Amino acid sequence: MQFFEKTNIDFVTRRNAWVIFSVSIILVGFLTAFIFPPKFGIDYTGGSEIAVAFKNNINTDQIRNAVNKVGYKNSEIKSFGETNQFLIRVQDLGDAQSKIQTALQGISNNTFTILKVDKIGAKIGSELRFQAFIAVLLAIIAMLIYIGFRFEFTFGLGAIIALVHDVFVVITFVLVFNALGIMDLEINQQILAAVLTVVGYSVNDTVIIFDRIRENQDLHKGMNFLKLANLSINETLSRTINTVATVVITLVVLLAFGGPVLEGFAFTMLIGILTGTYSSVFIATNFVIWYQEKVQKIDLESGWKAEKEKSAKAIKTA
Amino acid sequence: MKKVLGKIILVGVTVIAAIAMLYPTFRAYNLESIQKGYLQRAKSAKSPADSLAIMESFKKQYGEALLKAKNSQLKLGLDLRGGMYVTLEVDVAKLIEETASKEQIDETFEQVIAKTKEEAKNTDQDVIDIFLKNFNAIARPKGKSLISYFDFGNVRDLSDDKIIDKLREDQKQAIDQALEVLRQRIDQYGVAEPNIQKQGTNRILMELPGVSNVTEMRSLLQTTARLEFKLVKNNKQIVEFFARIDKFLHDRKAGIPETNNVQDTTKATVQNADIAKSENKKTAETKLEKKTEKLEKDSIAKDSTVLVKDSTKTKDSTDPYAGLPKEEAARKYLEDHPFTRLFTTYYAPQQKNAKIVPIYYTSSQFPEGEYMFKILEDSIPKFNEILNRPEIKAMMPADLQIAIDAKPDQRFLKQNVKVFDFYSLKKEPELTGDVITDALATYDPTNNAPMVTMAMNSDGAERWAKITGANLQKRIAIVLDDRVYSAPVVQSKISGGNSQITGMANAEEARLLEIVLKAGALKAPVQIIEERIVGPSLGEDSIRNGVTASIIAALAVVLFMFIYYSVGGLVADFAVILNIVLMLGILASLGGTLSLPGIAGIILTLGMAVDANVLIYERIREELKKGRSLKSAIDEGFSKALSAIMDSNITTFITGLILYYFGSGPIQGFALTLMIGIIMTLFTAILISRSIIEMIISNGASHFGFGQKKLDTIK
Repeated sequence: MQFFEKTNIDFVTRRNAWVIFSVSIILVGFLTAFIFPPKFGIDYTGGSEIAVAFKNNINTDQIRNAVNKVGYKNSEIKSFGETNQFLIRVQDLGDAQSKIQTALQGISNNTFTILKVDKIGAKIGSELRFQAFIAVLLAIIAMLIYIGFRFEFTFGLGAIIALVHDVFVVITFVLVFNALGIMDLEINQQILAAVLTVVGYSVNDTVIIFDRIRENQDLHKGMNFLKLANLSINETLSRTINTVATVVITLVVLLAFGGPVLEGFAFTMLIGILTGTYSSVFIATNFVIWYQEKVQKIDLESGWKAEKEKSAKAIKTA
Repeated sequence: MKKVLGKIILVGVTVIAAIAMLYPTFRAYNLESIQKGYLQRAKSAKSPADSLAIMESFKKQYGEALLKAKNSQLKLGLDLRGGMYVTLEVDVAKLIEETASKEQIDETFEQVIAKTKEEAKNTDQDVIDIFLKNFNAIARPKGKSLISYFDFGNVRDLSDDKIIDKLREDQKQAIDQALEVLRQRIDQYGVAEPNIQKQGTNRILMELPGVSNVTEMRSLLQTTARLEFKLVKNNKQIVEFFARIDKFLHDRKAGIPETNNVQDTTKATVQNADIAKSENKKTAETKLEKKTEKLEKDSIAKDSTVLVKDSTKTKDSTDPYAGLPKEEAARKYLEDHPFTRLFTTYYAPQQKNAKIVPIYYTSSQFPEGEYMFKILEDSIPKFNEILNRPEIKAMMPADLQIAIDAKPDQRFLKQNVKVFDFYSLKKEPELTGDVITDALATYDPTNNAPMVTMAMNSDGAERWAKITGANLQKRIAIVLDDRVYSAPVVQSKISGGNSQITGMANAEEARLLEIVLKAGALKAPVQIIEERIVGPSLGEDSIRNGVTASIIAALAVVLFMFIYYSVGGLVADFAVILNIVLMLGILASLGGTLSLPGIAGIILTLGMAVDANVLIYERIREELKKGRSLKSAIDEGFSKALSAIMDSNITTFITGLILYYFGSGPIQGFALTLMIGIIMTLFTAILISRSIIEMIISNGASHFGFGQKKLDTIK
């Protein structure tokens, strides 16, 4: 079985359009971030969060009233996974759990079990945030060095641009989906793990295309770089699609059957994998081209035009 | 053919290794479900003694196997199994405050401390640094220096630098001490498989699976430790009390089924007798035990008649078992002594240089003098259970308490038995730990043996002199949180407050004692700064959902690979599944924990492993299209795909490495699984898949299904 025969799709001519497309998505993300400020999970803000499962039907107002009575005026209550499961969040770090427990016991005709409790000091929260940031930053720098060493510096830069692009797009989606209320996504440790996975995957994808470019450079000495890049992307396309397909299968299953705990993770990864593939094909290589043209001042375009005319003629004559 | 054999061995060994590494996990899982059944029965048992007996029978049958399996099983993170995760921090600001001389503290100092506390709340900076900064800003301009506030008595030429060094040293000690105290408490509370570790300079991480009573746990963790000095009263009175318990239990046997397995308890006694043997062989620890010649009856271990013989040796005259055959006598002894058979009692006559002899409770007459008690770890639960029965508690001499050693006897540890001393202590402490100003583990200059020196403040020293003067040649136990850390014999009246404690088995023991003694000097409260509790039901749900999802996902991928790459796809499927099993197995053998981020790592690996195979097969297809023969297309496919696979995996590996070093808990878990996964991917995709494919075509086949069009090969 084969999805793609030998393809010859033009991925590079409209490179500006792809970049504009991506940049606009990221801009939307920034706008969203300003309109609906990113919601950090309790991991990064500190506070207490209690997940409870009620036995009988109940709504958030009933819970809020009960929690209000014990003095938590600005508690946050939202559904968690299945019906009648709720997350209750307060800023208090003291004995919030037992207070809320007493409050909920006051609700008549219902019993509940505690699913989980997270209580995080503000200090730990800011530390975790900082640590995550440093780890990701260092990982990016190290990858830049390795790819620069194995390929060329420009390629390393291209891979990093693609990767940063992915992180931004993923966060944009997370923000927008959360703001629109489609899904409950806060920036927490799980989303971070998903973003890290996306980082790893995205680079993986990009490197495979770069590897083909490197190989083709030796195979077709003197070929116009635009043609070379396009050829390489086309040659690896089948692999790209198949790998994405398998990972996407995994993630869709995880999203469908993984339960509330894995939901945020699976969704973020899914967006990330799709973006990662897109960026590997459309952004990473095109960045390398852009760099060669604009920074290294190499004229690639005229050669590429000639190539295209040649192939157009060939088709006509055939 | 030879080449094929090598490949079969390679694949076979890998599969066997993968299964072997995961076997303990299955075994532990099975045994745990058996244990659950026993627990159910124990819970519905009529009395605590019954439930203990049920659990003991489980322990006897499966205990060792379970322990072994658990040691090398794949542990699940708290997010998957439920439990409590706590980060504790030593309150360094408080420590500084407590270390300063009380008389010197003024408004300026309080201001500095208050500011330090405030700032420490929100930054990651070293608290001592914050304190120094504030001190320099607030107190220095007022002409104060650190020397104005700190006085370490025995330190000469005190300077500000020395004070800072000392504070830093104290901070280090405080965390060790908190760690020790918490470990003991968690241990006594009975948390199964706790994970307790130090993080950085002033934090302790704890993972407590299965803890559900959070309020209780919280107070357990945050109470400051209580250090006390108590007189050891291992006297006739307590031995008589033990004998009374025997009689009481024996007489009331109707309600309490005791000895249901004579043989086994005999074994226990034999073991106890073993202890007796080595007890007498070991070098003197304290003045209590002068080096003794071998016990005449070395045969104790082999022969339970000793019970009879020994009883004739003790001064009392009547032997209730006289004339009975050996086994019968032993059986009867155990039956008659349901309590005292749990441990071994030794008697040290009062006259100097007398030997220590084991004592049996065959008569109710006991000589005056010092006694010693040793108990095997396995017997402790039963021992405590009996002592905690209300009717037994009522019989206990009112001024005494029983306390067990905190650590098993070092000398027996080498023989792989955990033997604990226990003591009868005077309930009222002679002195509490707050009089201690310093403690230090060092070596005795005369014989280079480890020892600990201890200093007290003037008030304490005065009382200490009185106490030691009144209790010459007696033992005083150093008790922290009701556990005995040492029970040295008072050699002389100690005035001036500087004492030396000798007789530790090694430097490690001395260091532990130093830490414990400082619990009195260092008031270093710990506070919870992070707490996560995952309820057992959520944990179960997560596991179930996670497992279901993973299996469905894996099946879907397997199916996809087969449809797309035909037989080649099946080979890849095998390699990928082997990869995941290997990953889990290696994680288990490294003692790693599988948590949610770890599952994320596995999913990424799954993707990358499939990817490696896809890369190879796509290449092989390309080469086949170019018209190469099957053999050379496979060779080319593998070698050309190699650079792409290597580069992409190494880049990801670098990410993993950095995340592992700079990340915290969950990120680390993710990074570890990712790194293991990458190595396994390279191994399985490159070596294993290739071996299998070459094995299949080794008979000279000209076609192999990579899902390529038939046309390509017919050419």
